[in-house]
Amino acid sequence: MDSDASIHPFIAVRGVTKTYGGVRALSDVSLELAAGELHALCGENGAGKSTLIKVLSGVITPDAGEVLVSGRPLRLGSVAESEAARIAVIHQEVVVFPHLDVRDNVFAGREPRQCGGLLLDRGRMRRETEALLARLGERFDVMQPVGELPLAQRQMVGIARALSHRCRLLIMDEPTASLSQRETEVLFRIIRQLKSEGVCILYVSHRLEEVFALADRVTVLRDGGHVGTWPIAEMDPPRLVRAMVGRELLPTDAPGAAPRQFGGIVLDVRNLSRRGAFEDVTLQVRAGEIVGMAGLVGAGRSEVAETVFGINPPDRGSVSVAGNPVPPGSVQAAMERGLALVPEDRQHQGLILPMTVGENLTLAILRRLARCGVRSPRRERETAARLMSELLVKAAGADVPAFTLSGGNQQKLVLGKWLAANPRVLILDEPTRGVDVGAKAEIYRLIRDLAGRGLGTLLISSDLPELLLNCDRILIMRGGRISGELARAEATPEKVLELALPLEVAS
Amino acid sequence: MTKQLQTWLSRRETGVALILACTMAGAGLANPAFLSAGNLRDMLVQCVPGIIVGCGLTLVIVTGEIDISVGSLMGLLAAAIGLLTSSQHAGLPVAAGVALTLLLGALVGLVNGVLVTVGRVPSIIVTLGMLTALRGATELLMGGTWITALPDGLRFLGTGSVLGIRVSLWTAAAAVAVTACLVRYTPLGRRIYAVGSNPQAARLAGLSPNRVRLFAFAFTGFLVGVATVVSVPQMSVIESGVGIGLELFVVTAVVVGGTSISGGRGTVWGTLLGVLLLGSVRTVLIFLNLGERATYWERAIQGGFILAAVLLDHVTRRRRAACAATA
Repeated sequence: MDSDASIHPFIAVRGVTKTYGGVRALSDVSLELAAGELHALCGENGAGKSTLIKVLSGVITPDAGEVLVSGRPLRLGSVAESEAARIAVIHQEVVVFPHLDVRDNVFAGREPRQCGGLLLDRGRMRRETEALLARLGERFDVMQPVGELPLAQRQMVGIARALSHRCRLLIMDEPTASLSQRETEVLFRIIRQLKSEGVCILYVSHRLEEVFALADRVTVLRDGGHVGTWPIAEMDPPRLVRAMVGRELLPTDAPGAAPRQFGGIVLDVRNLSRRGAFEDVTLQVRAGEIVGMAGLVGAGRSEVAETVFGINPPDRGSVSVAGNPVPPGSVQAAMERGLALVPEDRQHQGLILPMTVGENLTLAILRRLARCGVRSPRRERETAARLMSELLVKAAGADVPAFTLSGGNQQKLVLGKWLAANPRVLILDEPTRGVDVGAKAEIYRLIRDLAGRGLGTLLISSDLPELLLNCDRILIMRGGRISGELARAEATPEKVLELALPLEVAS
Repeated sequence: MTKQLQTWLSRRETGVALILACTMAGAGLANPAFLSAGNLRDMLVQCVPGIIVGCGLTLVIVTGEIDISVGSLMGLLAAAIGLLTSSQHAGLPVAAGVALTLLLGALVGLVNGVLVTVGRVPSIIVTLGMLTALRGATELLMGGTWITALPDGLRFLGTGSVLGIRVSLWTAAAAVAVTACLVRYTPLGRRIYAVGSNPQAARLAGLSPNRVRLFAFAFTGFLVGVATVVSVPQMSVIESGVGIGLELFVVTAVVVGGTSISGGRGTVWGTLLGVLLLGSVRTVLIFLNLGERATYWERAIQGGFILAAVLLDHVTRRRRAACAATA
């Protein structure tokens, strides 16, 4: 390697900014990577890591900023351009073509050709794929459809694909998430080998021990902003966690702060298990209590919520509401016993966007509002008007389509739709994702109001301040199990994160 | 070795081939005339439009789309080739007429593709519209009459033989061979499967799903043209009802042949077997001397086949998903 490469960064990200519908996903992020460097990228869920990866790989176009590769600007927003600059990504969810065989997956889009570019060079595809897999210490049939391989081998196919580029920047997003110990060691060996060949690696991981084992430098993002970049020698795990979390909490406005009195148990979940999603989850929520659920993406929180609500049947365990057992796997039974779920993806699961505000609000209780089985428009109007004023929904009226509302007001509609049914237990999955600060505060007020009226609430959120501000108790999930519980008084961001991260931070 | 045997046995093509063999053998036992060379040839010739169009439709369905306008397109192209070459109309040389017809076919396919990709209209709606519109256009062009006085050169494409085998059969064989090679040996062919298998991954891999879909639609339109010029001139006149019901026949054959209606999986060989199976059922029904009722039976059986095939597809997919989850 010439000395130039070590002085000039190989990749320079300058002032990259990306906004999604008013929410800053990345704001003015700058970053430099030298050839042969392993640069770790850390941050909480939603800190902007994925957005940055998408910018570098050409999947999205940033609103502002530039990326220089060896000093030359990269045309942003084109996967082909990023590939041509030999930037490869190994995605968190293993992205493959399940119906195609291994060699087709490795070479999709860049197939070696023969006969003047007309035909595929199948022999070469096979030989090179086998060679790549051999380099990874793997041997399996390259003629097999990838969909029939176990997850870890699919991951290896993804890595082989990146290697086949002879990439110069390799972005790895949680690459060890689905690998066993042995496979992880193989991966680390390959990573070190690639580094020695001058490949620069941007490594995203929640597993801090990996970051400390592999990285030369570490960059922390928080809420889309660049917190800092440090040589790994100047960092230690507690400091890193503080950098990831370290924001001021929202000001706590009084009502929730004092310890409150709760009623009897309204939601009782015992030993709930669903294979491949979560194991042995036991939890209780009392009337008037707000119980938080923290954990990383993929820890199994949403899956627990969906199973409790009857969307998926559990393999084992029971759910009861106010002492009445809920038959497994039936949403209707769950609703009849007083459960309500506000799902994470409100546009797809919570609202019927082309229908009006009023229609959405009364959708869950149409039968109750009807007279002798015939809809009663008057009662529907009255109910909608009452809910709208209670929830402070900002809309031109009850008869405008739901898609005309802002994200925060749409979320209030989803809440209102379930409140109309007078539930005893409300499960909220990421209720303020993509919602602006003002609407957030109103939603928090609403959640606490409802708890004050005796509703038991299970609040799933990746937003730590949100949990710390609103919850009486926080359960933390890790890898499909409940890894700990913190009472309001003892909960701190560091403690929550420590229980949520895959391995002991302190070690 | 046993594993290979197992995968071979579990393939849809094997199953369809077995049912086909049973149908043929049963019919042959009941009436030996069924297996006579003449009858088999007639059966194959009848299958030609299904085979040729099926090659294109397989690719469309593998990308996760559908084209139900192929029957009406064949009607339009039949009118076109007739009006272009008949001595009572334009009277162009046969080669020019054929070339223009193929071009028109590809063009209509391309329009389908543009509406689906650029217009973002679901392909079932686009081609449903085309199904009606093209049939209407055909009726307008023909003005309620038949086209007669087809030139000998054109008639030869429908009825002539080369080396003792019908031109239309040679053409069908060529269509199958070209499509099978395209799928297997060209980058484009692999991309068709990639796009159908996982469109999101295709975009992340820098492929252009839209370009691939455009090709599949245009190729299908072109093949409808090919099927038209070798099947329509089997008759000495062309009427406006050519190709009615072809789309149902071909979609059924493709799905019965193992192509997944949700994309990503399917082979040209499976489609070929599917067409032959449906074709042999049609011929068997004629042999049963059911008269008018043969058509009704054919529709009922065809419908039963498509439902069974889609159901089977769902069941296997779910079982595979379950296997992958536990692996």
